[in-house]
Amino acid sequence: MDRQVDVVVVGGGSTGCGVVRDLARRGLDAVLVEKGNLTHGTTGRMHGLLHSGGRYAVSDQKSARECIEENRVLRDIAAHCVEETGGLFVKRPEDSEEYFQEKLEGCKACDIPVEVIDGEEARRREPYLARDVEKAIALPDGAVDPFRLCVSNAADAREHGARIETHAPVTDVLVEDGEVVGVEIEHETGPGKRVHREPGTTEEIRARHVVNATGAWAGNVGEMAGVDVEVRPSKGVMTVMNTRQVDTVINRCRPKGDADIIVPHETACILGTTDEEVDDPEDYPEEEWEVDLMIETLSELVPALEDARTLRSFWGVRPLYEPPGTGTEDPTDITRDYFLLDHGDRDDLPGMTTIVGGKLTTYRMMAESISDHVCDALGHEATCDTAEAPLPGSENPARMEALMDEFGLRSPVARRSGQRLGSRADDVLGEYDPNPIVCNCESVTRAEVQDAIGEAGSDLNAVRLRTRASMGNCQGGFCTHRIASELAEEYPEPVVRDAEDELYQERWKGQRHALWGEQLSQAMLNHLLHATTMNRDGDPANLDGEVDFGAFDAGADAGDAGVDGSGGETGTAAADGGRASDDAATDGGRADGDAATDGGRADDDAATDGGRADDDAATDGGRADDDAATDGGRASDDAATDGGR
Amino acid sequence: MTRHTDDDAEGAGRTNEASGGCGDCGCGEPSPGVPEAGRDEQPSVFVPDEGEIPETDAADAPDPTRADGAGAADRAATDGGVESASGGTDSTELDPDAYDPVDVFPGGDLDLREGADSCYKCTSCDTSCPVAEVDDEFPGPKFQGPEQWRLKRKDDHDIDESITSCSNCMRCDDACPSSVPLSQMHNEARGQFVERQMEKLSVEYVRNRILANYRTSASLASKFPRTASFAMNFGPARWAMEKVMGIPKERDFPEFATETFREWWKARGGAQVENPDKRVAYFHGCYSNYNTPEVGKAMVRVYEHFGYEVMVPPQKCSGTPMFANGMLDDARRHAETNVENLVEAIGDGADVIASCTSCSMSLRQEYPELFDLHGIEDVAEHTFEALEYLRIHEDLEGELDAAGGLDDERAFAYHAPCHARNQGLSRQAVETFRDVDGVKMEDVGDSCSGISGTYGWKEEKYEKSMEIGAEMFEHMEDAEGEVGMTECPTCAMQMEHGTGYEIEHPLQLLEDTLGA
Repeated sequence: MDRQVDVVVVGGGSTGCGVVRDLARRGLDAVLVEKGNLTHGTTGRMHGLLHSGGRYAVSDQKSARECIEENRVLRDIAAHCVEETGGLFVKRPEDSEEYFQEKLEGCKACDIPVEVIDGEEARRREPYLARDVEKAIALPDGAVDPFRLCVSNAADAREHGARIETHAPVTDVLVEDGEVVGVEIEHETGPGKRVHREPGTTEEIRARHVVNATGAWAGNVGEMAGVDVEVRPSKGVMTVMNTRQVDTVINRCRPKGDADIIVPHETACILGTTDEEVDDPEDYPEEEWEVDLMIETLSELVPALEDARTLRSFWGVRPLYEPPGTGTEDPTDITRDYFLLDHGDRDDLPGMTTIVGGKLTTYRMMAESISDHVCDALGHEATCDTAEAPLPGSENPARMEALMDEFGLRSPVARRSGQRLGSRADDVLGEYDPNPIVCNCESVTRAEVQDAIGEAGSDLNAVRLRTRASMGNCQGGFCTHRIASELAEEYPEPVVRDAEDELYQERWKGQRHALWGEQLSQAMLNHLLHATTMNRDGDPANLDGEVDFGAFDAGADAGDAGVDGSGGETGTAAADGGRASDDAATDGGRADGDAATDGGRADDDAATDGGRADDDAATDGGRADDDAATDGGRASDDAATDGGR
Repeated sequence: MTRHTDDDAEGAGRTNEASGGCGDCGCGEPSPGVPEAGRDEQPSVFVPDEGEIPETDAADAPDPTRADGAGAADRAATDGGVESASGGTDSTELDPDAYDPVDVFPGGDLDLREGADSCYKCTSCDTSCPVAEVDDEFPGPKFQGPEQWRLKRKDDHDIDESITSCSNCMRCDDACPSSVPLSQMHNEARGQFVERQMEKLSVEYVRNRILANYRTSASLASKFPRTASFAMNFGPARWAMEKVMGIPKERDFPEFATETFREWWKARGGAQVENPDKRVAYFHGCYSNYNTPEVGKAMVRVYEHFGYEVMVPPQKCSGTPMFANGMLDDARRHAETNVENLVEAIGDGADVIASCTSCSMSLRQEYPELFDLHGIEDVAEHTFEALEYLRIHEDLEGELDAAGGLDDERAFAYHAPCHARNQGLSRQAVETFRDVDGVKMEDVGDSCSGISGTYGWKEEKYEKSMEIGAEMFEHMEDAEGEVGMTECPTCAMQMEHGTGYEIEHPLQLLEDTLGA
């Protein structure tokens, strides 16, 4: 039987990571289980706004007060995750003056420091702002990197003895004698650090208390325990721009509405968002009009957005909750407050607590209150220090000059690395010499990638979240293979291949909705490069048959290959299975060459299958690469028919 | 015709500076709601040719024909140079659709982050960069341009020192399939680096400033040309220059002409042809004036041969060496004089002709990219390289055919300067002369000469410069001709330095073959 721990926290978003850190620091034995990567659900799909509280200053002053309080805490304890951009609520001529005043009064009432500036001053601070912006309220909004924040929380928890288990979905909540006693999880890819292609195993983790911090998924976990948690998931779209058109958070000062915020985030800007209730947090439509709406509406604030390059779009699902019976129609009216559901009191099922609602900015406060609750339940006495103890990386700021001088980094590389790594920069960057750049767009060096691999194993999406590698304008086109090759020393070839493919596909997925102009060119270039240099459109290594790599580059049979030239033309046509005319066009002048190398055996190729792929490769000899290149645009099943070609 | 024969522009420039430009009339003042002027929106010192000061009341919607309407009417083929087709840079009624962030950034910085949008990382620029090819420490134009700009933040950035290794050959501009404004990004980044991060008392800064302001030194030297030519190349002096200044002793300073082009022009009484229908304003640049007046003379004779009235407006340095050294303030100061005088010439119906391809490059591309001077777009539009202009407007082939070629055969090893390449002119000399009897011209290939203006004049860059130039030297040796030919004065220095050949300008050969 598995040993019992104090607490299992389900959900590796900001709340779950915050809770597990808090509990671990209070000396409890805690385990965090997450079905994907850390931030896999909602946390990784937000616009990265560190609220000043201004957004809720009129509609929800309790939340607004909590936001400004936590805003100050995070600037301190999570300095390396926060960029103090400042924010503006801007008023256009058609926006209500009355609301502007209400907003101003609301902020003052919530102790949010504000300053009213005229349009000219606003444009001096943010030159891309529209010329008809009349005035603005300046307040201390900021940008926060949710990935780094969660990872730092988890890292601190681990330092304090917690176990962090990712890629481990909960398959059951264990209920014995009317009490929750633990969870059963499935290791999708093996326990511990991720290892691909190992059969999944399940594990029962028995615990004195279970915290359900799964946000929009809380209902699913509740269901496993037999309780009803009425989360009302609401989707919102966010569009990522290639560069920062603004360096300040820009909010539209109006009561509510879609597409009213631009958040500078690392090297990019994130446009947000919409608010639309969905049935299933896993399965909802992602539609292009939503992206169009973002760009069109926010161009009223920043005209340059209209022609600027978009990188990708993503949707997130808010874990909105309201107590049963409230019956709010419009999801934008549902409170942003958080709720702690004690299932012992509520459903007569002790041993489990669910936390829903809330927002990233107040994650620590939520974690504190749920940890207080859990400690109460377990009779554990300890004080919370998460508001004072800096997260790993935020102990002191990185020393930029040192990074440049000691590690020979180019200045922007040192700056971005220093910002990402915070006080860990020295340790991480000192590990590798030479330390080449692996991801150029975001200036991520080998040392940083290796550090992330050390933490996250072979899951390159987890490496991405830690480093931002592949999150720049090429969206992995020029670096997925380089990042993957950093795995090669430690992991076997198939693992590296899968990891690369997974990252590449993830990058592609997010670009589909915003694919025009420059990003379309980028996607085509990426595709062709990967197709022609790595056979991504039909990788022989993904076929069932063994690939005889030795047969390439004028391998064993290359000598006889050219001997028999007769019948080559028909051979090519037959081998290509009915695509003869296409081929003639594509192959152009190389038809003769093909004929010679294919020899008379091409007919056999057509008749047989992948089993003969090796021989094909042998006869094609050194020409295999060229063929792959020409075949670039074909569907991958064609490549399969072609065997080794 | 003695128009514009002031030997120097100093007088004119000072007058205008003293009068404060037209700052008084308010044309440079931002209208309400428009951010205050940054470096790129300073009041222009331009005064239209009739001497009238235009009413520049911001509220007046600019009428494209207003400013010198009547004056322009009898000068077909020009727009008077006062209002550009795009509405001009002084239009204060800003059309939100034609919103151009370059105009509105305060504090003098262009924010070129948006230029990074066009880059899809294909690396064509890096593979075409002659410096990256020989210098493993140089991260290349993609990093210097779109990557570095994209990684910047408003108050949190500095420019990487490696920008000083860019030679500003601008081949990356030519290589980019996606119109990333690479050289603009480099120029701006270099300017910011020099302004904010470079130690102003460092030997490197002082040396670069002197190299960039070649015109100042040349102007002094040409007062005593023989002494200067000797002194500058005097062994012990050169040893000291390398030790103290970082100027490589291997290089020979160019000789100073005993009579500058402008002195010659004044002495001959200015233009010999008057023709209100065919006017050109000659931008001779510093080198043709102080070092190779024979090129300037050839230009005048050839153009007069074709019936052009040549004007020689007051002018300063085109700015090329200043851009390459990040001295944007110096460049801007010179540009003010140049633009002011060239706009006036354009108002008189002239097109601007340069015999140096870097000068024409600067007037055409760098000026409008980096400065927002009144009329600068018009100068850019009206500027041509000397041979290019004749090939467009004259039947050069017919004339050359009729002239019958050279009696004694001459063979040339022609090198196309990078800046000529960027203007699409890399084949013009070869094409012009290939059918001329008695002329044999071989193109020595598309490599960079390696000197890139002042780059090869820096001690720490000298070896790299020679390494880049090696391919060109080799091809020159292989070519039949023993005389080099190129449009660019510094390429010429490098060609001479690497091969010992005498170097000529295509205009000189044109003068010979036309018998002009």
